[in-house]
Amino acid sequence: MMNGITRILTSNSLNNITSNTNSQVIMETTLKAIGRPGFILIDNDIDDNTKKYAAAKEFLYQATCLLVYIALVVPVFKKGTFKIAQKLFKPEEIGKFSNSKQYAHYLKLCDTTLNNRQKTLGKEIKGVYKTDKNGNKVHKLVEDDYDPLIVKELNKENPDKFPILKGAVEFGNIVGSVFGLAIFAPQVSHLFIHPALNALGFEKHKNAPKVDETQQKLDKNV
Amino acid sequence: MNNALLDKFRNICLKLGKNNKPTYVVMAIAAVKGICRPTFTMMDKKEEPKTKKYTAIREGLTEIIAIPVYWGLGEGSAKLANKFLPDELKAKGAKNCMLIGVCAAALFVIPGLCSLAIKPLMEKFYHNKKGALAQKFDEISTVSSGKSKTLNTQLYSPVKRPSLQTFVNSNQHGMRVGGV
Repeated sequence: MMNGITRILTSNSLNNITSNTNSQVIMETTLKAIGRPGFILIDNDIDDNTKKYAAAKEFLYQATCLLVYIALVVPVFKKGTFKIAQKLFKPEEIGKFSNSKQYAHYLKLCDTTLNNRQKTLGKEIKGVYKTDKNGNKVHKLVEDDYDPLIVKELNKENPDKFPILKGAVEFGNIVGSVFGLAIFAPQVSHLFIHPALNALGFEKHKNAPKVDETQQKLDKNV
Repeated sequence: MNNALLDKFRNICLKLGKNNKPTYVVMAIAAVKGICRPTFTMMDKKEEPKTKKYTAIREGLTEIIAIPVYWGLGEGSAKLANKFLPDELKAKGAKNCMLIGVCAAALFVIPGLCSLAIKPLMEKFYHNKKGALAQKFDEISTVSSGKSKTLNTQLYSPVKRPSLQTFVNSNQHGMRVGGV
């Protein structure tokens, strides 16, 4: 039992999510989209219509945030900060990677054992060819994609993970998440939420003429 | 870029690269959301002012509650993991537990706490209005029971009902045929 829990808590898949800001935010927003409307719906002190309206609005808001985040924020900020880091820092500090995807793959390779890493580097990439010294067409290997210095690093027992580059990417992800979820997504959701709530029939009761309770009570007393 | 600024940025990147805690991003989002979301809700012209106010307060309070909860649950679960996990798995396990703590906070701890805390706060917020209303009713009932002669006309506009005097015959209303 204890071993099972320990295995889950220290699993590599969970660790991959933990070390990536984007996966954390996606996971957290999905849970918010379930938890928050759920708790509004079980609140007995609010009247039914307001409860349904608030829960639907909260769910639509979180769902819109998630979509906006995945579609716009993740690609823009990830690529953007990677390029900025390449301009700001020296290659010795951040290594020579062609794009953020390659760096992410490099980090995955770093987490494996040296033996497995070398096996992966020697694998052929399907459908991708290169010409060798004799002019023959041969399959491109995984290691051919990397800079020779990076390949040298990968052949070490404990390769350098280039924490400055990783930090720069994560910094960009945090800034992007804050901008996307707190500033940009609410604007988009405001455009989308009212028509959506209208289509779902939640705005009908809101527009219905309301009898002023205070006036009713005053009339009774008079 | 200025060298001092670049060094600061390098240090931030280095720290984040070595140890990017799951609590950082969620707390940053909650802090900015706590300011921006209520502001945007109040700026929405399509909603009723009452609903707008309720939603904005709820949103603001949710984020105010969220920040310490994210931090507390995240750090707490990491410490708990450090107590029970073997030494070689501590670093990995503590970070993963921190994520589990943050997820638990997002799924049920924060919404649950909000449901518990927001109700009394909202009642407190609307208490003055309720009190004013009750005062209004008190004044009106005093007037109608005849205890007070003065009536604050600003409180309400009395309904004009036809008085019985209108239908009573009186000699003050001139000559009447066969009258006294």
